[in-house]
Amino acid sequence: MLFATAVFAPLLGALLAGLPGRVLGDRAAQLIAICFMLLASVCGVAAWVQHIYLGVPNGVVPVADWITAGDFRLQWALQYDTLSTTMVAMVTCVATLIHIYSVGYMAHERFTTSRFFGYLSLFSFSMLMLVTANNLVQLFFGWEGVGLCSYLLIGYWYDRPSACAAAIKAMIVNRVGDLSFALGIAAVFLRFGVVDFSTIFAAVPAHVDDMYHLLGTDFRAYEVIGVLLFIGAMGKSAQIFLHTWLPDAMEGPTPVSALIHAATMVTAGVFLMARMSPLMEYAPGALGMVTFIGATTCLFAATIGCVQNDIKRVIAYSTCSQLGYMFLAAGVGAYQASVFHLITHAFFKALLFLCAGSVIHAMSDEQDMRKMGGIWRRVPVTYAAMWMGSLALGGVFPFAGYFSKDAILNAAFESGSGIGLYGFACGSAAAFLTAFYSGRLLFMTFHGAPRADHHTMEHVHESPLTMTGPLMALSVGAVLAGWWFYPQFIGSLQQAYWQGALFNGANNHVLQRLEDVPAVIALLPSVLGLAGFAIAVWFYIINTALPVRLAERFRPVYLFLLNKWYFDELYDRIFVKPAWFLARLLWHTGDETLIDGVPNGLAELTVDGSRQAVRIQTGSIAIYAFTMLIGLVGLVSIFLFNR
Amino acid sequence: MQDGALPVSLGSYLAVAAVLLVIGVFGIFLNRKNIIIILMSIELILLAVNINLVAFSAALNDMAGQVLAMFVLTVAAAEAAIGLAIVVVYSRNRGSIEVEDVNLMKG
Amino acid sequence: MMNWAAASPEIFLAVAGMAILLFGVLLKKENAALCTMLVLGAFAATFVMVMQTVPQTAYSSLFVTDAFASYAKLLILAGGALTMVLSLDYNERQGIGRFEFPVLMLFSTVGMMTMASAANLMTLYMGLELMSLSIYVLAAFAREELRSAEAGLKYFVLSALASGLLLYGISLTYGFAGTMDFAKLPDAVTGVDGVSTGLMVGIAFVIAGLAFKLSAVPFHMWTPDVYEGAPTPVTAFMSTAPKVAPFVVLLRVLIGPFGHVSVQWQPIIEVVSIASMLLGSFAAIGQTNIKRLMAYSSIGHMGYALVGLAPGTESGVRGVLIYLLTYVAMSAGAFACVIAMRRQGKSVERISDLAGLAKTDLPLASLLTLFMFSMAGVPPFAGFFGKLYVFLAAVQSGLWLLAIVGILTSVVACYYYIRIIKVMFFDAPAPAFDTRSASVSFVAIASGMFTLLFVLALGPFTGAAEAAARVLFG
Repeated sequence: MLFATAVFAPLLGALLAGLPGRVLGDRAAQLIAICFMLLASVCGVAAWVQHIYLGVPNGVVPVADWITAGDFRLQWALQYDTLSTTMVAMVTCVATLIHIYSVGYMAHERFTTSRFFGYLSLFSFSMLMLVTANNLVQLFFGWEGVGLCSYLLIGYWYDRPSACAAAIKAMIVNRVGDLSFALGIAAVFLRFGVVDFSTIFAAVPAHVDDMYHLLGTDFRAYEVIGVLLFIGAMGKSAQIFLHTWLPDAMEGPTPVSALIHAATMVTAGVFLMARMSPLMEYAPGALGMVTFIGATTCLFAATIGCVQNDIKRVIAYSTCSQLGYMFLAAGVGAYQASVFHLITHAFFKALLFLCAGSVIHAMSDEQDMRKMGGIWRRVPVTYAAMWMGSLALGGVFPFAGYFSKDAILNAAFESGSGIGLYGFACGSAAAFLTAFYSGRLLFMTFHGAPRADHHTMEHVHESPLTMTGPLMALSVGAVLAGWWFYPQFIGSLQQAYWQGALFNGANNHVLQRLEDVPAVIALLPSVLGLAGFAIAVWFYIINTALPVRLAERFRPVYLFLLNKWYFDELYDRIFVKPAWFLARLLWHTGDETLIDGVPNGLAELTVDGSRQAVRIQTGSIAIYAFTMLIGLVGLVSIFLFNR
Repeated sequence: MQDGALPVSLGSYLAVAAVLLVIGVFGIFLNRKNIIIILMSIELILLAVNINLVAFSAALNDMAGQVLAMFVLTVAAAEAAIGLAIVVVYSRNRGSIEVEDVNLMKG
Repeated sequence: MMNWAAASPEIFLAVAGMAILLFGVLLKKENAALCTMLVLGAFAATFVMVMQTVPQTAYSSLFVTDAFASYAKLLILAGGALTMVLSLDYNERQGIGRFEFPVLMLFSTVGMMTMASAANLMTLYMGLELMSLSIYVLAAFAREELRSAEAGLKYFVLSALASGLLLYGISLTYGFAGTMDFAKLPDAVTGVDGVSTGLMVGIAFVIAGLAFKLSAVPFHMWTPDVYEGAPTPVTAFMSTAPKVAPFVVLLRVLIGPFGHVSVQWQPIIEVVSIASMLLGSFAAIGQTNIKRLMAYSSIGHMGYALVGLAPGTESGVRGVLIYLLTYVAMSAGAFACVIAMRRQGKSVERISDLAGLAKTDLPLASLLTLFMFSMAGVPPFAGFFGKLYVFLAAVQSGLWLLAIVGILTSVVACYYYIRIIKVMFFDAPAPAFDTRSASVSFVAIASGMFTLLFVLALGPFTGAAEAAARVLFG
């Protein structure tokens, strides 16, 4: 009951705040949305506590019959286990904080914000639907629901062309992944005849040796399914090749970036991997791909993050990179570490985004870090929170990121495979870069001489309590979550904690071996993190001319990174331009000429026919009589021919 | 039948009637001169019908045809009266009874 | 034993007509309004008498009164009465308010009622001529107006030709079947060696003559000109009752005596129907005069009604009867709106005169919109159900072509109906119309209510139509 309340309260909030919001007014809509989110978070945390500490067993909360078609019966039900309760607790808490934060952030909007809160609550509901799904179709419902809300919220400022373009881009890029995901679901259904998790997982060992014969080659069924599902996850979680939408998604309001594009929605792919772990464990090839893509993204996004100037884009690439870590962990079989990083990341990344929002708010909507600087005294709370978030992100002991990132790198090292070592190398390099760009962000934003104009600087002020409150709450999470949850998520208590929600294959002992890593390896992330910060200090506090010189010296590299490895340009050339061409072709010839041509032509014909029809109507009695006679002859002939 | 006189068959009557009908109909739409001629053509058509009716009546040995013929005569008279009245009204307004002038309304 | 009472409504109406004529002549000062009222009274009395007739055949089976005839007569009387009310004010304002006008309408109505009851080709012809002769005079009633005179002349010449052809057809039918009695014709038609050529030619001539009165293509040529030229109440009259009477005669003749050879006449009806629908929808598009537009519209409507006749089934006849009912109401209402189009004491009839009517006279614009939608066949107005039932009957009999052409032409027809609505609601307003009289408003509102609320009384009306249709298939 608690669990169902946690899931459905946001839906109610969305309906009540969103639909009649215009009538209710801003305050009432905000209040409604926040109250229902608060209710949801209380229930969500309570359900989690019940499950973990009070021993309520795994189960399924049925809601309704959903689809009945022939033999195919689908229930609408909520999965109640450690993975879903953990996610529900995290999502509801973060969402509640961001709802509260939004009240302050959206205070200067010209139009009523009830629509914003409606979308935000609807998103929360969709996300909860996604994480509590007990079958793939329901998960897909949530998956598309969050996609839709993401689209709506990125394009929230619909009068900005760039926001609309970003929303469309997010939608389209996600389609690629979603297609693959849908194919994956179909493949699962074909193989197992069902889509609900418990039945699938029970039947997994029975189909291990099933093969697909494709293009003259045999593929193991699980590898195919695993790869399809992972491509779906790549789209949602912005992994390399399908990552291009995430930085652009920063066009949405900052709370949206914090909630959707950092803490929750983008982690859906990771969640999917964790949820499907009983199946993925039988697909080593697919897992190798997961590791490879995760590791590559991790490093790739970090390199770009080092040179971006838009404060939100830096954090966006950082998100991309951190998601890479999570996939890396999932790829080497350490799902627990993956989910652990997901949770800690949710806290510190939401925190970073909200801090960025607070800074942007203070700087009169300026997002370019080159026009900031020297404001740390004016925004002390934000400054402190940003530090905590950055340290957590950089993986410095004892902040949250340290524990989870450390575990991931250790797991990659311990997996022993070549691909695992590749992941370890990428991850370590990325750890260094992460610390570097975090420091860069901090120093450029808060320290040094003010680079904003006089007018803006005068207005710099600390944000109201509705914004700083969530910052403080999340700071606590960013500091403590790692230390507090470490034993339960991946440490000695993990068996008792997960209660079988995540699955490790019989030969998968990564977690047990985490403690055995050599001291050098274990210390590496912290060392790299500190080194990264140190270099950032050198570059941006001590010798501020150096980065510019470096950029000039290595101009091609700098441009390559600044232009995000030219992915957008490449896709533009390969996909967008031909699509434009095709669309124009279809529009001008297909639509305008053919499809419009037919009705227009018919209309022309009609008018012409009308002219012809009255031409005989000359007014002459003789013609009229003659027509009658012709008609009579016609009738008689029809009669006679028809005998 | 009297000797020397050929019996006139039903077919001959029908042929005459048909010819009269055709003349009447053609008179309506081939005539380019005068509306009065059209009135006469209409009378011709009715005449053709009457010949038909009477001939059939005689052939069928049935009185109904002749009864209808009497009605047709009456109606024809009324029709001619009304027709002429309308022509008078028209000629007063138009100042002409040329058939080709009757084309004020068209399209 | 001859039952004189069978034709008592017609006899009463004819006698009343002569009495009113006499009364009108004897009146010292001409009083058209009084005579019109008297005629309306006579109509009302006749209406009641028709309601009370019992089914029977009389006058040596020249005359029949059955549910079918009663349905048609009531419809004819209603249509005649509605248009008569329209004439009250119009004639006065146009300076043609003479007492012969209602009397002529009355005699025309007697003729139509006779047609509806005809059980013999002779009765049919007499009724038809009585109807037509009166309308010739009515069409040319505005003696001072050239257009009216021309309309009368055209209608007279062409109608006389059509009557002649019909009569010729009757004579052939009589000659080759040996009888003019509807009851005996079927035996003659289904003779030992099938249908004789002469008889078939005769049937074709009869159909042609009736099709002329219906203004079905290709015998429609007179319609636009006469509709335009005749005084508007006469046009309204011509488009209501005088369409019903020939149609019911056509139904009775084709279903009754010639019902056994429906395979022979079906293609003719189909061709005529399709041609009428096409012409009715296409030719109206370019029209600028609303009376001409209504003429083409009525050509199209007759085409739709013929769709119901083509299958020759009971449901088809029922559809036609419902169609005629809705058509009479819509038509009377639409013409009431046309009659209301007067500006500075003059009648105007261009479509552009309606511009912006919604701003100057919203009730009138709304009513006309209602009639236009109904004529276009938009549900839930009356016109929709008329079309629905005839198309349904066609589809049930597998006449898909008719139904498809019907629906396509309805779409085309929508264009010009809705164009009028567009002109009224979206064009820059023209000067307001003169105040309209209560009588015109009455007809418009009464027809409008019928058109709007027909859907509520669907049961009784379809029931009556069904009972009437069943008679023909006895």
